[in-house]
Amino acid sequence: MNRNPEVKVQLPAPNDIIRANEKSAETMKAMKLIRWAAMGLSVLLAVSSSAAATSPWEQPAAALAEQIAGILGPGQAHLSIRNVSRISSEDVPAIRKLLEQDLKMHGVTVSDDESANSIRVTLSENARARLWVAEVVEGSVTQVAMVQLSPDGEQRAQAVGGLTLRTERVLTSREPVLAALETANGLVVLETEQIVFETRGPDGWHEQSRVSIGQRRPLPRDPKGVLIPDGGAQFEAWLAGTQCRGSYDPAPSQGQWMVSCYASDDPWPLTQSDQTAVPVKAFFNGARNYFTGVITPSVGADPPPFYSTAWIPRASGGTALVVGGIDGKVLTIENGVLKPIAGTRDWGSDFAAIHSGCGTGTQIVASSSGEAAVDSLLAYEFPALEAIPVSAPLDVRGTVVALWPAPDGKTVLAATRGAENQYEVDRVSALCN
Amino acid sequence: MYRRFAISCFVALLTLPTAARTRPHYGGTLRVEIEGDPWQPPNGIARRLVFDGLTTLDTTGAVQSALASGWESDNANHRWQFRLRPGVYFHDGSPLTSTAVVQSLNLDCPANCPWATVHAVGSTVVFTGDSPMPNLPALLAGDEFLIALTATADGKTPSGNIGTGPFQVTSFNNGLLALGANETCWQGRPLADAIEIRVHPAVHDQWLDLSVGRADVVEVPVEMVRQAQQQRLTVLVSQPAFLLALEVTDSGALVNPMLRAAIAASIDRSALANVIFQKQGEATASLLPRSLTGFAFLFPVDRDLNKAHELRGGLNAPTLTLSVDGDGALRLAAQRIALNLKEAGFNAQEVDAGGAQRADLMLRTIPLEGGEAAAVLESVSRSVGAPAIPPDSSPTSLYRAERDFLDRHTLIPLVDLPRAYASGARVRDLALDAHGLPDLASASLEDAP
Repeated sequence: MNRNPEVKVQLPAPNDIIRANEKSAETMKAMKLIRWAAMGLSVLLAVSSSAAATSPWEQPAAALAEQIAGILGPGQAHLSIRNVSRISSEDVPAIRKLLEQDLKMHGVTVSDDESANSIRVTLSENARARLWVAEVVEGSVTQVAMVQLSPDGEQRAQAVGGLTLRTERVLTSREPVLAALETANGLVVLETEQIVFETRGPDGWHEQSRVSIGQRRPLPRDPKGVLIPDGGAQFEAWLAGTQCRGSYDPAPSQGQWMVSCYASDDPWPLTQSDQTAVPVKAFFNGARNYFTGVITPSVGADPPPFYSTAWIPRASGGTALVVGGIDGKVLTIENGVLKPIAGTRDWGSDFAAIHSGCGTGTQIVASSSGEAAVDSLLAYEFPALEAIPVSAPLDVRGTVVALWPAPDGKTVLAATRGAENQYEVDRVSALCN
Repeated sequence: MYRRFAISCFVALLTLPTAARTRPHYGGTLRVEIEGDPWQPPNGIARRLVFDGLTTLDTTGAVQSALASGWESDNANHRWQFRLRPGVYFHDGSPLTSTAVVQSLNLDCPANCPWATVHAVGSTVVFTGDSPMPNLPALLAGDEFLIALTATADGKTPSGNIGTGPFQVTSFNNGLLALGANETCWQGRPLADAIEIRVHPAVHDQWLDLSVGRADVVEVPVEMVRQAQQQRLTVLVSQPAFLLALEVTDSGALVNPMLRAAIAASIDRSALANVIFQKQGEATASLLPRSLTGFAFLFPVDRDLNKAHELRGGLNAPTLTLSVDGDGALRLAAQRIALNLKEAGFNAQEVDAGGAQRADLMLRTIPLEGGEAAAVLESVSRSVGAPAIPPDSSPTSLYRAERDFLDRHTLIPLVDLPRAYASGARVRDLALDAHGLPDLASASLEDAP
């Protein structure tokens, strides 16, 4: 049975339209109207056809009906459906209709006769998937058929505010992701024990190879890592106690990444400001999860131990370094002076600058403080020494475990850990309203 | 004027820099109070702090690598090879070797193991079985297969419990078990510097200590969860962590399966869940929790006294002996079950669980470990010596294997029960793991330096 018959709509051919130029204006208007109506109709039909084709219930209904028919054989049966899953009750009539149609195809006619054989379908689910169960009752014998369905992907609404933050999923992983970097030759992903290289396919990134980092000592809990580009085909990675350098050999015989890792307690690079000529680095406490507070070269003031930093431009023309201390306080270092910033009570420990071009041009995207059930991201500006939210919160799928700017600075990347310990890297961009 | 001044002060206060919530801090001592033995298997609270398994379960119950970095099976799951993670050391500094793992497993499981033989081959541990072992990686995450050091380098038996876990034993005196952070733990150093586990205070004393700040994590018996919530304790309740079940002998008077089926039909599971366990458990007639399969409703939980009488068919069973593997709520549950049985024409008499002769009926709890239904089914059924191993992990195969097992009526599922703990204000990011235990290694303290 074909539920999605191909819909053909006859549209005016281009030559017909050219010939129409020679006709009167009224005829042309009428032709245009007909053309638009036909196009609209075709779009409507295409949409409805496509919606029907992508109905998530078709396949499981067909599979369950086939199993039921295999038990019952041709004949009449009474069908009842019970929904104990999160499927909307509005979908149940459609599922019933599909089942009835599919059963009929297999010679089982659904009847209201209570004396007939009975099919009790339960739309159920477990923690991982939906499960449709049919209890087929013939006299005193009950047999069971089951079909397992994958749960739907979650749809998320975009937040709206002074500017709008949007996320786009870059990759998902079962392993903790510390950082990721898009290069001309693919995606580099820093995990706790390996560096993974991925190449882009038509349906997203696909793992190409992975290299063991080979740390001499285990990483601390709540590990951190940094990946920065070093020229077009190179990168540098930092983890607690270890540094790696990777380069891509494009030669046909090679065409692969070469990575060397070595023990190192050298300072890690902080995200760069356009205005700073010398790269600024900071020492990371390899046995903990934070920077010691020692920055090199000095920025004029010594901050307390911190988790995150970001450079923001100031109205005066200079830049300021925003520092997120391990005590939860957020400070700026501007002209060698350390000053506290107000309005950061809801900030988590991760933030990054985004050069959106909206508002003052640069905002800081900060994770939420983790008080809520799910983390969110919010963009802030700093007209003075107070963080002013300029976007609505954007919910993310889980807890933000790392946030860093993309190499071009126009987007930031967020690594999150989901409820099922699934890691995800999302690209966060800002749209000016 | 004063009003304006007050408003100005309030606005100024609002804009003052305030401390945000941060990443977890390292340091400090977590103080835990429990009633039972912290080393008591299964799932004594200290066991997973000190020991690791070859595999582990993440919070969703999925199997993850632990002391084994990877594994392969061949010969249709009759042979498994687990590669040991390099660079792992026991708390005494001795390296984790395949020989040490095999010694520990042989001590853990002297008989009725999921495998027939286990031996060390280089840096791998090889298991072989007489029948397929499709669920072995998940089973090895269980409490009974945690790896402990059984012999020191000079061949002596180590004094005390030595593992590879995030904490090592510092001392155990006067009911206070002191654990220190394992700085070189392969999973990363835990966030807290130390854990003190105070053993044996009564539950209400634990709650009092929590409320006055003398304890950070305390136990909440399932039947007291509502009471704890009413006292405004911060209570963490796990997914179903164990199954309350009645183990029924298939010998003596109960060799007749109809009598065993009559016993199953006569028990009022809903009363157990709602009254004894104060609605914190879920009445069940299936081995596997609803959340794991989605088909638990195929095993009806309703009591059917008529059916019980019908199945008994006027047979007079002699007085049955009933033992309880536990106390408190379990003992109350046993008394209610005895009443239920009496209404169905059986006489049940409670006897000591440690008696010389095995009781006809034994009320016990069985851990529900993991998120893989086939592995949980094998683990639960293995606990009564009759492993049910479905040929594949499809829902239909799983249902058939469970149905076949339950139709023997040698284990009657009654209630799925969670574990519960309460934590104090100092503790942050405390979560319960797949076994329902607090993951103290990943918890930190708000006031840590």
